[in-house]
Amino acid sequence: MFTPILTILRHPASRRKWLTIISGALIVFGLTALYGFGLRGLWAASMLAAAFVAGSDIAWRAFHALRIRHFSIELLVTVAAVGALFIGEYWESAAVTFLFMFGAWLEARTMRQTRGALADLLKAAPEVATVIRDGEPVEVPAASVLLDEIVLVRAGGRIPVDGEVTEGSAAVSEAAITGEPIPAEKSAGSHVHAGTIAENGVLRIRATGIGADTTLARIIRRVEEAQEERAPSQRMIERFAQWYTPGIMVLAIGAWAVTGNLPLALTLLVVACPGALVISTPVSIVAGIGRAARSGILIKGGQHLEHAGRINMLALDKTGTLTEGKPSLTEIVPLGGIDRAELLHWTAIAESGSDHPLGRPIIEAARAEGALPAADKVEELAGMGLVAEHDGRQIAAGNRRLFDHLGISFDAPAEAALAGVMGRGRTPVIVALDGKLAGILGLSDQPRAMAAAAMAELRRTGINRIAMLTGDQPQPAQAIAAEIGIDEVHAALMPEDKLALIRQFQAEGHHVAMIGDGINDAPALAAADTSIAMGAAGTDVAIETADIALMADDLLKLPEAIAISRATLRNMRQNLVIALLTVVGLLAGVFSGDVHMASGMLIHQLSVLIVIANAMRLMRRPRRDRPGSQSRPLRPVEA
Amino acid sequence: MSTKSILRSDEFSCPSCVTKIEKALSALPGVAAAKVHFNTGRIEVEHDAAATPVDALVQAIRATGYEARPAAF
Repeated sequence: MFTPILTILRHPASRRKWLTIISGALIVFGLTALYGFGLRGLWAASMLAAAFVAGSDIAWRAFHALRIRHFSIELLVTVAAVGALFIGEYWESAAVTFLFMFGAWLEARTMRQTRGALADLLKAAPEVATVIRDGEPVEVPAASVLLDEIVLVRAGGRIPVDGEVTEGSAAVSEAAITGEPIPAEKSAGSHVHAGTIAENGVLRIRATGIGADTTLARIIRRVEEAQEERAPSQRMIERFAQWYTPGIMVLAIGAWAVTGNLPLALTLLVVACPGALVISTPVSIVAGIGRAARSGILIKGGQHLEHAGRINMLALDKTGTLTEGKPSLTEIVPLGGIDRAELLHWTAIAESGSDHPLGRPIIEAARAEGALPAADKVEELAGMGLVAEHDGRQIAAGNRRLFDHLGISFDAPAEAALAGVMGRGRTPVIVALDGKLAGILGLSDQPRAMAAAAMAELRRTGINRIAMLTGDQPQPAQAIAAEIGIDEVHAALMPEDKLALIRQFQAEGHHVAMIGDGINDAPALAAADTSIAMGAAGTDVAIETADIALMADDLLKLPEAIAISRATLRNMRQNLVIALLTVVGLLAGVFSGDVHMASGMLIHQLSVLIVIANAMRLMRRPRRDRPGSQSRPLRPVEA
Repeated sequence: MSTKSILRSDEFSCPSCVTKIEKALSALPGVAAAKVHFNTGRIEVEHDAAATPVDALVQAIRATGYEARPAAF
C-alpha cells in the first residue's frame, strides 16, 4: 500500500502531477460548496487545503534552493501564497499555487514535444549490438563493439555502428539521418550508418565507427550545439530578465512600504518571472532546428538560422551539386554504315582496357547489351584517348586531338554530328575502326532528378536570383542550366573567380547562400552569407564546416531548409511580440488594479503556453512534404 | 580521477531551473564543474566518480525537482 505511494512521491514529475490533481479537485470541491450550497466555511477549508497541497511542493523546492543559496521563482510564489493566506485570500492562494503547478506541468509536456526531434535522434542509437566473436554471435552494449569487428544486423534491426557491409544485402532506411523516406539498397562494400534500419535481409558489417564516433552521434552533438547557441536577441533578453526579477521584487517591497497595499505587492511577486519572454526565442530555435533535423537538414545555430532566413540569392556549383557527378552515356551517333550496337560494342572493347571515368558508362552500357570481350592490346595516349586492337581490328577512341594525331580526317557529316553532340552539351568520344570514322558517343553528367523541381521551388520561396558557378566549359554548363531552369551561368571559373563573384553579388546588395562540394568551392563558401553542404552524411568535414548541412543528396531539401529558416525567424518575432505585450500588459494591469494574484498567475502561465504552442507549429511538416502530394522515383543512394 | 558524465532531462520548462541545478550539482563533493543546457535538457558534470557517483548526481537533481537520466552521449 505504502510502497507505490512512496514511489510516486519520490519521483518529482509524478509527485507534482498527483499534487496538482488533488489540489485541483479540492478547488472544484470548495467552489461547489460555496456556490452550490453556500457553505463558506467548507469553501475556506478546501481552498486552504488546496493551497497546502500544491504549495507544499513549491515551498519544498524553494527551501532546497535556499539551502544552496539560490533565490528561486518558487520562493517568490511561496511568499505570495503564504502572504495571501495571512490576509485571508484563500481562493487567491489556492489558485496561484494550483496554476503554478498545473502550468509548469503543461509547459514541460509541450516543451518535450518541441524537443522531440532530438529525442528521436537519441532513440535512433541502438543500445545493443550483435557481434561475431569466435565465430559465435554475441550480444554486447553498442558502445563496447571493437573497431573492425563484424556486426550482425537482422531484418528490421537498427544498425548499431558506422561501418562497411562485408556480406549480405538489404534495403536500409536512412530516414533518421538523411530524412530520406525511401530506403537505399546496401550490399557488400556499401557504407552504412549507425541508427539506420535494415528493413529486410541480413547484413554483416565491419565496424568503422562506434558510439560517440559515429555520424549519428556527431549529428546529435551538432543539433544540440545548434539548439544551445544563443541568438543575439536571446542574449539581450537574458540580460533584461536578470534585472527584471530583482527589479520587480524591489518594486513590490517599495509599493508595499509606500502604499501599504499588501495584495498589490504580492501580485507583483507572482508576475516577477518574465517566463514567456525568456523562452520566446529558445523554443522557436529548438523547434525550428529540430524540425529541420527531422528532414536531414542540419542548421548550425540560431545565428545561421537568422542569416538563412534572409537569403534572397543562391549560387550553386554544377558538378556533383546540380549534377550527379557521374558521367553517363546519353547518345550514340553511328557514322559510315555501322550500326548503333556494333559501335557501342567496339568502343567498349577499347575502353575496357582503360579506367578513364568516361569509359565506365560506355562499358556498363555495352555489358547490358551482351558479353564484352577484352581487348588484345591497348595503348593509352594521355590527353587524347586510346588505340586498341581486338580480333584483328584496330579501334581508336578519344577526342579531336587523337584523330588529328592519327591523321584521320572528318568529312562534312562527321563535322555536323560532332557539332551537334557538343551543341547539346555532351562531351564527345569519337570512335574510328581500322582508320575510318565509325561514330561519336555523347556523354553527359546528368542533372539530379529533382534539380529542376528544386529550382522552381526555390523561386517560389522567394529566391529571385539563382546563379550557376562552375569550372566546366560554357557549352555543357549552359546545356545543364537550360535543362533545370537556371538562366545565369558563370562558366570556366577558377576557385578565386567564384569567390570574387560571391563578393560582387554581396556588393550588389544580395544575401547570398552558396552550395558546393567544399573542395574547390571552399573560398566561395567561406565568403557567402550562408554556406550549404549537400550529401553531408558521407563526409563529416561538411557537417563540421557548413552553416547548413543537407544529409542527403537531395536538392529539394534546399528550398525546405530556407523555408524552415524563414518560418523560424518569423516565429521568433511573433513570440517576442507576444511575450513583450504580456509583460507590459501584466504590469499595467497590476498597477491599474485589474489583475490580481490568481489572474496574474493565469495570464503569466497562459502567455508561456501560447509561446510554446506557437513554436510547436514549426514541428508540423510543410505542405509540400506531406505524403501523397508528390511521388518521387526510387533511386539508390550510395553513401 | 575526474570523469565527465552526461545526463538528460526532458522536464525543464523554465530557464530559471538552470542555475538552481548547476548550484545543487556544484555543491556536491568532488564536482568540478556542472553545466545545464535548458534548450536541449542536457546536463554535463565533471566529477570525481569515487566521491560522487552518477547516482548521487541524479539524486541531487531530483532534490531540485527534476528527473534526469544518465546518457551515453
